[in-house]
Amino acid sequence: MSWAQASLLARGLCRGWGGICGAALTGAPFSQVPPQAPRGLHCSTAAHHSDSSLVPRPPEPPRRPAKALALHEELFRQAPDGARDKASFVQAVQKFGQHNVHRRGHVDFIYLALRKMREYGVERDLAVYNLLLDVFPKEVFRPRSVLHSIFIHYPRQQECGIAVLEQMENHGVMPNKETEFLLLQIFGRKSYPMLKFVRMKLWFSRFKNINPFPVPRDLPQDPVELARLGLRHMEPDLSARVTIYQMPSSKDLTGVADPTEPHIVGIQSPDQQAALARHNPARPIFVEGPFSLWLRDKCVYYHILRADLLPPEEREVEETPEEWNLYYPMQLDLDYGRSGWDDYEFDIDEVEEGPVFAICMAGAHDQATLAKWIQGLQETNPALAEIPVVFRLAGSTGELLAPSSGLEEPSPPPPEGQEDEEDSQQQRQQQGQS
Amino acid sequence: MSGCELFLRTAAAAARSCRALVAFTASHRALRTSPPSRAFAKELFLGKIEKKEVFPFPEVGQEELNEINQFVAPVEKFFTEEVDSQKIDQEGKIPHETLEKLKSLGLFGMQVPEEYGGLGLSNTMYARLGEIISLDASIAVTLAAHQAIGLKGIILAGSEAQKAKYLPKLASGEHIAAFCLTEPASGSDAASIQTRATLSEDKKHYVLNGSKVWITNGARANIFTVFAKTSIVDSDNSVKDKITAFIVERDFGGVTNGKPEDKLGIRGSDTCEVHFENTRVPVENVLGEVGGGFKVAMNILNSGRFSMGSAVAGMLKKLIEMTTEYACVRKQFNRSLSEFGLIQEKFALMAQKAYVMESMAYLTAGMLDQPGFPDCSIEAAMVKVFSSEGAWQCVSEALQVFGGSGYMKDCPLERILRDTRILLIFEGTNEILRMYIALTGLQHAGRILTARINELKRGNVTTIMETVGQRLRDSLGRTVDLGLTGKLGAVHPTVADSANKLEENVYYFGRTVETLLLRFGKTIVEEQMVLKRVANILINLYGMTAVLSRASRSIRVGLRNHDHEVLLANMFCTEAYYQNLFSLSQLDKYAPENLDEQIKKVSQQILEKRAYICAHPLDRTS
Repeated sequence: MSWAQASLLARGLCRGWGGICGAALTGAPFSQVPPQAPRGLHCSTAAHHSDSSLVPRPPEPPRRPAKALALHEELFRQAPDGARDKASFVQAVQKFGQHNVHRRGHVDFIYLALRKMREYGVERDLAVYNLLLDVFPKEVFRPRSVLHSIFIHYPRQQECGIAVLEQMENHGVMPNKETEFLLLQIFGRKSYPMLKFVRMKLWFSRFKNINPFPVPRDLPQDPVELARLGLRHMEPDLSARVTIYQMPSSKDLTGVADPTEPHIVGIQSPDQQAALARHNPARPIFVEGPFSLWLRDKCVYYHILRADLLPPEEREVEETPEEWNLYYPMQLDLDYGRSGWDDYEFDIDEVEEGPVFAICMAGAHDQATLAKWIQGLQETNPALAEIPVVFRLAGSTGELLAPSSGLEEPSPPPPEGQEDEEDSQQQRQQQGQS
Repeated sequence: MSGCELFLRTAAAAARSCRALVAFTASHRALRTSPPSRAFAKELFLGKIEKKEVFPFPEVGQEELNEINQFVAPVEKFFTEEVDSQKIDQEGKIPHETLEKLKSLGLFGMQVPEEYGGLGLSNTMYARLGEIISLDASIAVTLAAHQAIGLKGIILAGSEAQKAKYLPKLASGEHIAAFCLTEPASGSDAASIQTRATLSEDKKHYVLNGSKVWITNGARANIFTVFAKTSIVDSDNSVKDKITAFIVERDFGGVTNGKPEDKLGIRGSDTCEVHFENTRVPVENVLGEVGGGFKVAMNILNSGRFSMGSAVAGMLKKLIEMTTEYACVRKQFNRSLSEFGLIQEKFALMAQKAYVMESMAYLTAGMLDQPGFPDCSIEAAMVKVFSSEGAWQCVSEALQVFGGSGYMKDCPLERILRDTRILLIFEGTNEILRMYIALTGLQHAGRILTARINELKRGNVTTIMETVGQRLRDSLGRTVDLGLTGKLGAVHPTVADSANKLEENVYYFGRTVETLLLRFGKTIVEEQMVLKRVANILINLYGMTAVLSRASRSIRVGLRNHDHEVLLANMFCTEAYYQNLFSLSQLDKYAPENLDEQIKKVSQQILEKRAYICAHPLDRTS
């Protein structure tokens, strides 16, 4: 019987067992592994709530005595002058190896280390993950017989290995040859961490560049630069020009500018400029917003300058001038058109919207600030002087999203409570895909 | 000085005899083709060959030929002995003495009628002279800008008074003309012309304001043909902006020009910006009607193109001489270059291209010389497209024969290559002319086929059955006979095979055009890649016709080396035949050869990002 068939059978068995054992053993790790092996695929992000995530959650209730965990914590606290960087993290992991020759309590240590990674800013460092995997003792957990591989061998350790891989996945870290080698040494080829590894290898390469509108991984800290990036991200026309209408008056690194002089950055394409010049001054145009835009884990707000759609009777029919092309006829004088067979235009109901003339991102969302933007726009759009501008700014109710924790986003009205990192990350993923 | 006089006298003599000859041939031809016949190229779109237009190949009388040769000899001598093209290219200007000599030879008024002091050459003779003038591209462009477009407006649309006032001085070269149409914002788009002429209060002057760019002879010219927008009150009392053509003298004031442009090729020609600032142009100087400038511009542009064919052919003949000499002298591996097949191939190509474009050019010139001002603008455009592309290809191949030494500045090939590049661009880029060729023909065919297509669309059973039956017969491989071959056919039996190929191509081209019109109707304007193929086929068909007609004549008359002509003709016809078959099959719906959809997709994606978007071959995802 092939291994695959055997493992399928085993899975069925496990599921049955899982039910039993899960009830019997508190926090049985079974439920985590076999039936949802492809959890790593974030196709179903919406349904994927933080409680199903392995990583930041240590096995509850902790089965090890609290003393052991506290000991591990101590390792991380030992860093001189409390520096939290890669070096001190690596040092802590190495110390664990030195102190504990038999690697006692390594699973707990790894879970702890996983949780600490973000604090130390090493959550995207492949070498650190490999170092963590290296904490596992080698050869011990490798299945030695068919039976071993059918019934999960050392499930707690395997699950811990998966947790490491899962955290890598969440931070978009692609495992490398070294990872593969370590996993082979620790768990052997026919193990769940190895399966996870293979799947990561397969799907990461397919999903890595799936977003046609990629956002750089490290976002600029300067709000003006961030606004520039966000505006470019939204504007499809590459000839559009970004203009900084006002620089923030005080530019300390926290980005909290003087509220009287917030930054105002706008974007406008030549086509939009032309459309604005053609706009009938009798019809008002609107400044609307703030609307939110997520760039990775940051939320920025923007405003648009737009007009209502012209009623059909007022639209000018674009007519081709008679004397247009000096060289060849622009239209043929024939009374029959395209035949149905060559007409590939599908009958689509399209919602027509009014034109958008410009977009801006500002440090404050009040009318005074936005009026400055409109003033600045007038320099390149003289027609704007004659068009009435109506400010339709949404109140606090219009903003659903709170700034993500601890970031220096100049505050739009009251945050609705801190969302934890996990959620904001998922939102980021959804935004990124949309 | 005396040499100068001699030239003058010869020119005058030639002109005099020409006049008589032209009058004679004109009356003679008028008798022969009294019923106005249809244009040849347009009929091809219906799958018909209008034999009368193209067979036999147009001839000139013996006396006229002698006159031409007599006239050509001194010009040729002057160009080969006295014009230093390399110096002109390096210094970026034509020496004053050279220009004076050109004027004394009468080359500034070749097509100006004799009563205004010009030579009054027929189109055929003009084409013949073009062969020689083209030996220096800068001079050729200067002369063409002066008379093919600069003063052409006055000949075509000018009033008697205007002609009498301006033409004599222009013909003698005392005044030089320039054609001012292009603007920074307006290439072929007439609607975006910004130069404006406003009528002064006393209604005696127009005040002209605006700038024109890339004006050949801009710094040298005294007389400008300028196109500007004027406000016209329409019949229904609405004010419209329309283009009007003006004759503007430099002396009217307010005419300035920018510094000479630094160009890739034709560096000796004078190209610069021309600015008009409150230039007061008298009302008498409106060319044609007020608001009729668009037509004037179109006519001028359409009339000048055919001559490029003979000009390029002349240049290619010279090129072949230069290149063969090198190929026969240069030795590698103890053999001269001329013994290598890959080198030989290049000479066959050059000879073939030269032969075809020469045939096309003189056929077109002959058609234009027929009485009644026949409209040969499609033919002229085809000649221009074929000859400019042939020139570029041949010069590039010739340079290849020279190898590394061809790339050096010392070798004239390098200069010729640079000079040739402009041919694909000016007088309407080849892309634009292809649109013109295809759309003008489709318009003609579309009108004639209207009734039939409407019936097909309405679902008239008889017409449908008729069409289906015809298609069925076509697909079963019928032999096409349009009457070119056979006993007493228009084509000599030696080239009958090629003629059959032409007939087959023409017939199926007609069918394809019908299908295209049925499929796309007037929206075919948007299908540029389809139009390009239609134009390519048509150019090939015209080329085939021209060489068949010329080769048949050569055989029948017994010209020297006519067997060589037959070879070239058959070679071109076969090549063009297979090219046409391929293009025709690409024009079918669902043709696997047709990659238009993919091409469009690729370019769309690239243009959206404005960059090459493939990842680097060395990139990794992990």
